[in-house]
Amino acid sequence: MRDKCFEIGVIQAFLDGELASELSENVARHVALCDDCAILLAEAEDETAFAFSALESELNTLVPTQRLWSKINDSIEKKERTFWEKLYAFVSNPTSIAFASILVVFGVFIGILNLQSNEPKKSVAQNVQNKQIPVLPVSKSETNIAQNSQDADLSEIKITESNPEKRDYKVVKTKFEKAKESPKINKQSNSNIKTPEVKTNYEPRMASENLSGEDSYLKTIAALTKTVDNRKDETLKPSARFAFEKDLAVIDDAIGKMQTEVKKNPKNETAKEMLRASYQNKIDLLNSVSEKSELMASLR
Amino acid sequence: MNRQSKSSIKLSVLAFAIFAFAPFSVFFAQTPSKQPEVPVKRKVWKNANRIKNESETPAEKSITVSANVNISLCVEGNLKVNGWERNEVRAFVSDGSQVGFAIIEKGKQNDGPIWIKILGFDPAVNKENNPDECLSGDTIEIDVPRGASVNVKSNTSEMRFDSVAKVTVENGGGDIFFNNIARGIEARTYEGDVTVEGSSGAMSLQSTTGNIIAFDVSSGEIGDIFKAKTSNGAITLKNVGQRQIEAGSNTGSINFNGKFLSGGQYSFGTSNGSINLSIPPDSSLKMFASYGYGSFNSEVALQNVERNAPSRLQNLSAQMGDGNATLKLTTVNGAIRIKKQ
Repeated sequence: MRDKCFEIGVIQAFLDGELASELSENVARHVALCDDCAILLAEAEDETAFAFSALESELNTLVPTQRLWSKINDSIEKKERTFWEKLYAFVSNPTSIAFASILVVFGVFIGILNLQSNEPKKSVAQNVQNKQIPVLPVSKSETNIAQNSQDADLSEIKITESNPEKRDYKVVKTKFEKAKESPKINKQSNSNIKTPEVKTNYEPRMASENLSGEDSYLKTIAALTKTVDNRKDETLKPSARFAFEKDLAVIDDAIGKMQTEVKKNPKNETAKEMLRASYQNKIDLLNSVSEKSELMASLR
Repeated sequence: MNRQSKSSIKLSVLAFAIFAFAPFSVFFAQTPSKQPEVPVKRKVWKNANRIKNESETPAEKSITVSANVNISLCVEGNLKVNGWERNEVRAFVSDGSQVGFAIIEKGKQNDGPIWIKILGFDPAVNKENNPDECLSGDTIEIDVPRGASVNVKSNTSEMRFDSVAKVTVENGGGDIFFNNIARGIEARTYEGDVTVEGSSGAMSLQSTTGNIIAFDVSSGEIGDIFKAKTSNGAITLKNVGQRQIEAGSNTGSINFNGKFLSGGQYSFGTSNGSINLSIPPDSSLKMFASYGYGSFNSEVALQNVERNAPSRLQNLSAQMGDGNATLKLTTVNGAIRIKKQ
């Protein structure tokens, strides 16, 4: 049995509980049969007991970290704090104060913006920088808008209300007459019902610098198309609907061709003029459907 | 800094934050990111009650009016308006509604009303709720003074106007004929032809799907404009005497047969149709033609011809005679042909 005795290091590890379970069992079994090892174990126990007794004060002192304290405190506060205590805790946090300051500044900024945007709209054409005036459907209450404009060309705009004679219905007809290049609409559509997006055969592109005022044409066409999409089924008979779609396709083809020409040569004034004319043709065609539906409604 | 002073500082910061935010909370509340979509209340149209003429004889009535009376009416059926020498308006409707008149405005002198409305019922007799104002019937005939101005609206009607001063028409569908109109025409039909013959004055003729034909027309006053526009139809002009003519068609052709007057301005444009001119060889005009995917052909000799083709689109300027009139021709896909008369 002597040759199987364990070294003092293993015995010490056994005491400290650092051995694997299988080895620990072997040591225990051996110590029970071997007197020498039992003595070694007893001595080691005595030494360990002496050492622990000498370092007892040090070993029993807990030194929790700051993070541990914070976690402990937080968990306690979570259980015990009221709403006001939470609010106070939020405000007392320097990060919260900094965030609130940013919000105050942001609030002032938004407030100023809001005040500006809440002012009554003075002019549809105020933001127009070029001489092409977008003539879009505008309600009667806004017919004074052009008077405030600083654009010299606006002085040429004539707003006339015609045909006040109607029965028990009221259709506001606002007529804008403007430069030849501007889209002209004779009547205002009253429909605001949402419809599918505009379908065109040409590629509807964003207004470019190549053709001034193009964006106003595109906006007008988009608005009218929405109105017409709603009404054309009830307004147009199949034959007329066919002719309408055919004409629309022809105009879209012309628009597409002229767009290509303008894109190739932005200085091609003829192409620009024909493009404007094509846009105006499309507006007139779409407007005719809208006007017809209004006529039918007025005579119902 | 003790614990109590720290607490007081924190409370002060809280109070400041609350007071600072309070006014802006109003703006935040009033500024939604997206405007609410308010459904638009569409007018609910109440169908008017048509007052039928129960009598076996057609409805017929007349009223004494001023010689230059304005007449308003809406119709449903074939309409004939005829000018006569009497200062009287007579309305006749067969197989349809009743007839009545409403005086809108009386003249200052004792010469009859200057504005009347012809109704599909008699307001003195019919007290029914919401009666239909429109005349309706198989045949509707209106006789008016020659100096009368007639304003007609219709859903679907074929109309003829003869020998009156001025006509304004809006027709949902149906052909319109004008003859011997003295002081101008404003006609709009959405499906149908517009034909004008032997008339004068400023003219605006529009059709969405239909042809426009005008012949032997002239200006009543200096500056009278002739406008013709259709989307799907041909425009034929013969002996149109206005000095300013604008004609446009999307898919139809434009045919002009006549003279270009000195100082006149003429503009013809199509998208897909051809432009055919038949003019005297001694015409005097400056011509500016633009054609993209079509062609240009002239039987009449042109002077000072300048061609400019920056791209597929071609420009041509030329002159005939002294160049007193200005002619502008524009087509995207069509051909331009000039023939001798």
